[in-house]
Amino acid sequence: MSPDTANTPDLLPENLISSVTDLKVYFQSKQGMVHSVDGVSFDIVDGEMMGLVGETGCGKSVTARSFMQLIQTPPGVLAGGKIQFKSQKNCRKCEGAKCDFCSNTGKQILDLLSLSENEIRELRGERIAMIFQDPGKALNPGLTIRTQLAEVFQEHRENDVLEKAGLANNLNGINSYLLKKYIRQETNLISKIVLKFPPFRGLLKKVDKAINGLVTKALAETQIPNPNKIMERYPHELSGGMKQRVMIAQAIACNPDLLIADEPTTALDVTVQARVLDLIKDLQKRHKTSVLYISHDLSLVRRICDKVAVMYAGKIVETGDAETIFNDPKHPYTKGLIKALPSMTHERGKLEAIEGMVPELINPKLGCRFASRCKQKKSNCENNDPELKVVSNKDKSHKVSCFLYE
Amino acid sequence: MKQDFQTSAVAIEDLNDSAFKVRLRRNFEIIQNVLENPTTVIGLVIVILMLLMALFAPIITEPNMPDPYQMPRDWQAARSAPLTPGHVLGTTNRGGDVFYGVVWGARTSLKLSLIVVSLTVVVGVIIGSVAGIVGGKVDEILMRVVDVFLSIPELIFALAIAAILGPSFTNIILALVVVFWVKYARIMRAQVIRIKQRDYVDAARVMGDSKMQIYLKDILPNSFSPVMVQATLDMGNIVLVGATLSFIGLSEAGIAEWGVLVSEGQAGISAGRWWASTFPGLMVFLWALAFNLVGDGLRDVLDPRTETKR
Amino acid sequence: MQIKDYIIRRLLVLPILIIGTSIIVFALTRIGGSPIGIYLSHEMNPAEVQEMKERFHLDKPVPIQYFYWIKGVSQGDLGWSGVASAPVVDVFPKKFAATMELAIAAGIVAVSLGIALGTFAGARRNKLADHIIRVVSVSGASMPLFWFAILLLIIFWVWLGWFPIGRSDPNLFEAIPHPTGFYTIDALLAGNFAAFRDAVWHLIMPAVALGYGATAIIARMMRSSLIEELQEDYVDAAKAKGLAERVVLKKHARRNALIPTVTVIGLTFGFLLQGTVVAEIIFRWPGLGRWMASAVLRGDQATIMTYVMFTSILFLIVNLVVDIIYANLDRRVVLGE
Repeated sequence: MSPDTANTPDLLPENLISSVTDLKVYFQSKQGMVHSVDGVSFDIVDGEMMGLVGETGCGKSVTARSFMQLIQTPPGVLAGGKIQFKSQKNCRKCEGAKCDFCSNTGKQILDLLSLSENEIRELRGERIAMIFQDPGKALNPGLTIRTQLAEVFQEHRENDVLEKAGLANNLNGINSYLLKKYIRQETNLISKIVLKFPPFRGLLKKVDKAINGLVTKALAETQIPNPNKIMERYPHELSGGMKQRVMIAQAIACNPDLLIADEPTTALDVTVQARVLDLIKDLQKRHKTSVLYISHDLSLVRRICDKVAVMYAGKIVETGDAETIFNDPKHPYTKGLIKALPSMTHERGKLEAIEGMVPELINPKLGCRFASRCKQKKSNCENNDPELKVVSNKDKSHKVSCFLYE
Repeated sequence: MKQDFQTSAVAIEDLNDSAFKVRLRRNFEIIQNVLENPTTVIGLVIVILMLLMALFAPIITEPNMPDPYQMPRDWQAARSAPLTPGHVLGTTNRGGDVFYGVVWGARTSLKLSLIVVSLTVVVGVIIGSVAGIVGGKVDEILMRVVDVFLSIPELIFALAIAAILGPSFTNIILALVVVFWVKYARIMRAQVIRIKQRDYVDAARVMGDSKMQIYLKDILPNSFSPVMVQATLDMGNIVLVGATLSFIGLSEAGIAEWGVLVSEGQAGISAGRWWASTFPGLMVFLWALAFNLVGDGLRDVLDPRTETKR
Repeated sequence: MQIKDYIIRRLLVLPILIIGTSIIVFALTRIGGSPIGIYLSHEMNPAEVQEMKERFHLDKPVPIQYFYWIKGVSQGDLGWSGVASAPVVDVFPKKFAATMELAIAAGIVAVSLGIALGTFAGARRNKLADHIIRVVSVSGASMPLFWFAILLLIIFWVWLGWFPIGRSDPNLFEAIPHPTGFYTIDALLAGNFAAFRDAVWHLIMPAVALGYGATAIIARMMRSSLIEELQEDYVDAAKAKGLAERVVLKKHARRNALIPTVTVIGLTFGFLLQGTVVAEIIFRWPGLGRWMASAVLRGDQATIMTYVMFTSILFLIVNLVVDIIYANLDRRVVLGE
């Protein structure tokens, strides 16, 4: 299965870094097939921050994890769709000279969902990186910060490590073989023992020192004070905000093209939240990283994201610019979300909550998923599925999935 | 995927049903849940087969007169291999039919496990309840005693007791009771303390229930589960330890008991007569396995803590 | 600070438990009436019998006898073993070394095999290999040692003739000095590889038999804690870094899964200890277990008392050490949340 579908060119417009098309991810359960993500489509513009908003259980995390094939396939099932991604490799047909096949980008366009284990591993941590919700849980409690951060460099920047250690060119056969195995974490028991003896030992120390250098540099990037000391600590010795910075440092270590942030500030105190958000935004601007920011907090997303996609019960209900969505929401669910936010301009009194509950996603019936809670329900809302369509021809980027606008 | 997508079954109970009916229905649900696990069902099937074998022993094989629990001695048929006519599993050195030993051994094991488990449960529950309810110094002393008992490894403790009392089947029962009651005392005490603190006990006290009433109505029924689980596991384990004691030689020679048979069959092994030890030993294994499977299944349903079944 | 309190509390309770155990053990021996029997023979006249009684303080009240026993133990007198026809103290060290060698060998088998099988099964959940290993581990917990050992004996000694019984070939054994009492180590120290191989060959069957139950329990625990760890976020995060499955499994998940497994390993020590009694009988291993088995059948009270006290103290100490180790390891993980 060729990752860039050799015969038919996939059209990924030049300004996009990634595009999700009709993604379907289901889960086997005792009661039936759960349609977690049921036909989701959206685009991520190169260099922009894209927000994916929805309440708990709407499928946003599953969508995010699908990018790097992190869904466990039993019980998960990839039921359809593709996620296109602009890689750094040159297009196969034109070798970077730009052609129709690669939509004039000169680069290979991959379908992330059809890549093999080895192919996706190349991208993970290097071209696409992820930061998780609870840094306390996403960092291995039994390993030091240094060990965990070093892994990214060891996996993807082997040559940089050797160069920094001054060993890039002058290594003979067995030294080169063993050291490379060590860096790539592919040593077996015998090589581990051998590496303890000189002269290997001396070389190993140089390599470790080089790695340490790379690690401290990465930590400093996220404004962590005293990187040398922090490096030797264990996750539980750090505060929540620090841990999240470490996670971020780990993610941007290799300067990825796409950063996926799965509710990175939800588990943090409010004061710390602001600083971490600023950090992410700052890094994004500096390195021109594209970001997919998952959150349930619409007001937060509005602050930092360029574009927003609103998700409900496994489907996208509205997409568009962040400001547009906030000031001129079209879908009743989006309207409800915004009304439920407390703000300075609201009158004092009750907050409006959306009545009803999220529907069961097991073998769902036809019909708009929001229909049971919608105050503007029409007759055919419960019998047919609405599609994501452009709201007006003036602003083609604002799309809604609702019968009110068809 | 981290999601837990098992939706919980919401039991809509008719509010007019009596407490007894509710409890009955809940027990029925528990049994249903237990039966959903295939390994538990296998264990249950083996247990039932064993029980049937034990109960119908006099019908399955001709009981040996005068004492059916003594192995028959047929010197002429001694040392026969399996599948000789009349002796499906062969015979022992003294001409005892191995199949007879297997079947009547089940009966012996049933006797042993039922008596020991009943006694240990009663003794353990009483002592544990006293410790939990009375508390204070009494509790401290009782728990120290329990700790001392627990510091001697089970088999070795039972071994020493049975050795002192002298080799006999009754003494094995006694030894096992002395060693194994402590588990139930601990369980019961923990349950009593845990439930004493619950709100509904306070409510009962406010309503004027006496301590005995509270104990019988609130504490005891809710402590049932862990005791049940342990008792089931012990039904298997007791036979295992008991057979080991018999094997070492602390039971009466020549009786139809699996451990004794394995021990007596040892002499023929170097000569290649494997059947006299293998079949009775297999029975001990199956018995212990069956009760362990059922006990594990019960524990998974009544006290689900770690492994989420997905 | 809490850990230190915990350790101190456990250490203070330890002597109380030991004393309590000694009281129970002693009381046990006196229940069966006066143990004078083993010290007498038919030829003695009443005066000699009375002299024997006085010599062993059996004419005094029971509590006093207890103190005489304790006094004797503190002076190194553990009584006379009727079975061995020698003072217990003299016989003990050699048999202790034999049992220790067997128990340690079984322990090595159990730990290495158990962890390997558990990891293998946990990483391949619900696949065929997992089911097979689960069957093996469930059966291990219910396996009667005496039956399993006899099966091994039948298959590997009678039918296949691969392994011998007993502890060693006397010719090879006599040829080397015995500084440690562990035949395997002694043979290596003496550079005698024939003797080493002989010692190991004799060890294999009993060690496997003895270790089987522990292997099963360890494998089971390793499997379930590995499965739990694999569901944690840090495993996904490690994968998201692009690491190979092997690294994620071994360096990340398994390392953390080993922590709860360590407690189980401590538990299995009790199993191993008790199993030596039966294993030594069947494989004719000249250790404490077999000695105890004979003592039990012949009413050799000095041996019984010494053996029970010794195993209980050992049991208590090992449990204490395991609990302390776990408390230390656990704290790191707990504080991390």
